[in-house]
Amino acid sequence: MKTLDKPWVLIAEREITTKLRDKTFIGSTLVMLLIVMVAVILPAILAGKGGPDKIGVIDDGGQKVVQTASATAGGDGYETTRFADRPAAEKAVTDGKVKAALLPDADGYVVLGKDRVDSGVEGALREAAAAVGMETNAGKAGLSPAELHAGTKVSLQLLNPGPLPDIVSDFVNIGLALVFYMTALGFGMMIAQSVVQEKESRVVEILAAAVPIRSLLWGKVLGNTVLALTQIVVIAGASLIGLLATDQADILEVVAPVAGWFVVFFVLGFVALAGLWAVAGSLATRQEDLGSTTLPGQMILMIPFFFSVFAGSSAKTVASFVPIASSMSMPGRMLTEDVPIWQPLVAIALLLAATVLIVRMGARLYERTLLQTGRRLGYREALALESR
Amino acid sequence: MLRVAGLTRRFGDHLALDDVTFDVVPGRMTGFVGANGAGKTTTMRIILGVLAATAGEVRWQDKPLTQDVRRDFGYMPEERGLYPKMKIRDQLVFFGRLHGLDQERAAARTDKILGRLGLAERASDVLETLSLGNQQRVQIAAALVHEPIALVLDEPFSGLDPLAVDAMVDLLREEVTSDVPVLFSSHQLDLVERLCDDLVVLSRGKVVAAGAVSELAAGPTSTYRLVVDGDAGWLRDVRGIQVRDVAGGTALFDVLDGAVEQKILQEAISRGPVLEFGPERVALSDVFREATR
Repeated sequence: MKTLDKPWVLIAEREITTKLRDKTFIGSTLVMLLIVMVAVILPAILAGKGGPDKIGVIDDGGQKVVQTASATAGGDGYETTRFADRPAAEKAVTDGKVKAALLPDADGYVVLGKDRVDSGVEGALREAAAAVGMETNAGKAGLSPAELHAGTKVSLQLLNPGPLPDIVSDFVNIGLALVFYMTALGFGMMIAQSVVQEKESRVVEILAAAVPIRSLLWGKVLGNTVLALTQIVVIAGASLIGLLATDQADILEVVAPVAGWFVVFFVLGFVALAGLWAVAGSLATRQEDLGSTTLPGQMILMIPFFFSVFAGSSAKTVASFVPIASSMSMPGRMLTEDVPIWQPLVAIALLLAATVLIVRMGARLYERTLLQTGRRLGYREALALESR
Repeated sequence: MLRVAGLTRRFGDHLALDDVTFDVVPGRMTGFVGANGAGKTTTMRIILGVLAATAGEVRWQDKPLTQDVRRDFGYMPEERGLYPKMKIRDQLVFFGRLHGLDQERAAARTDKILGRLGLAERASDVLETLSLGNQQRVQIAAALVHEPIALVLDEPFSGLDPLAVDAMVDLLREEVTSDVPVLFSSHQLDLVERLCDDLVVLSRGKVVAAGAVSELAAGPTSTYRLVVDGDAGWLRDVRGIQVRDVAGGTALFDVLDGAVEQKILQEAISRGPVLEFGPERVALSDVFREATR
């Protein structure tokens, strides 16, 4: 009948189910989801992928040019709207019903716009008109389209390809650091709060009487790590759907190989910090104490975060080896630079050692301070405290 | 049997417990009394492993008490506390499982106890929405849900009205089987006298009295009380007794020779109506005062 031998699993379970019923937690997760979706989809919409641009035409020649341009752009770049004559087309352009109109001219075509014509549209139409015109001319001269294009193909080859363009890589670096920073800080505060709540409500004494205090700590760390990872996976899933829906799936090829590394760095860094946050909670006696007891944890997160965002590339390289800081900067570096494989391995080894050390110290402090409900303790004081 | 053997605990220079030794016998309720700061809570916290002893140990069935065994104990700490924002049913199931029950068993036990406490309809209410009296009931339920093999209750009845105390006592008597030792501390000596079979009196970290309540309350000598309709002055001439006090028809005397009290009763009846006759019980509060002086 008495079966459960792993109380920390039960503690973790309670931690998870409580959070999943917590409206603020669900709410903040939804808001984050929304922000990520917008961030993924919005650029695509701004880049004009919202639907084909309408181009007015008045004859078959114009229609063919626009169709060619559309085919070059990938199939649905442009759409023709047929008008009876030039005045009708001019009116449609003025009213904004079409982006531009392609009208026949004495020696080719005119692209008609209102106050300006999008350079992308102009270039595409210009190229398509030239291609269609040249093919027609070549046909008259007895050349097939294949013969016409023979020897004109140009392809791109880079001797030193960077995985991503500069702006994108900055964005990715900051983004990955931010994901870790926000998650570790948000869940860290939740861990500290959940510990101090148990102290405040005095339920901790019953818990401590029933199971070893270390189990309480492990359960909390485990439960919150699972929650944090799940949150990230959900958000990653949402952005994946967003990317697929907006035809940006090619980014995935760059991101996918680093995803596994990110998870390893994330979990190790998160667990180390979680131990520290739990101690911050056990040093406090009331919610109000958390401001001061969580300060070291906040610093340990904040300093490497700003460092990894604003530091130069050599400093960033150093940071990517320093435990905790490495969780924020190494995955980003791997994504945007060519990082030799030994570097993340060394960083992980260092991080692992630090995590074991921090968690051990955390567990000791936690055991000593959890049942001290009298007043708030300082870290130094707690270290000097004798065991129960 | 739960045995506390030579427990000593220091907090810095302060000696909170000094060689505290007593037994808590299965099937008997042991009352644990003492003034504030006498060391009751410290003793209980050490029994539950929440606090470590400086010296001495807690033994269970003649072996040192281990964490595994302790997990089957039931505990109600002096400072009450459960999760304020958790539904009471979820909460009790959680505590049942924490103490080693599986999900089904924990749920069945929870429903039974909630029904027994008249809280079945509030099962899915959040704890903090309950009245204080009901929260106290849930607290007791949390100590009982896993069918504990021993119970340690720190001031279980403080803050309860007499009806709630009765309900709680009924629940305890019903839930606690004859092989479960129960230790509970209380300030309410009348309650302890009514409920407890055994008593341990603690004063400044030392056990100053321990034993069955009936023995402790009986006192060292046999004192009798006689109330007659008339004057009881004739008692002063009776041999084999020591009169303590005579006032009109009421007399208090110590019996020095065995069986002489029966002769006195016959004598009293022959002289007139006897309103009251019997051994004078010492109030527990007097025992307590005497022991902790």
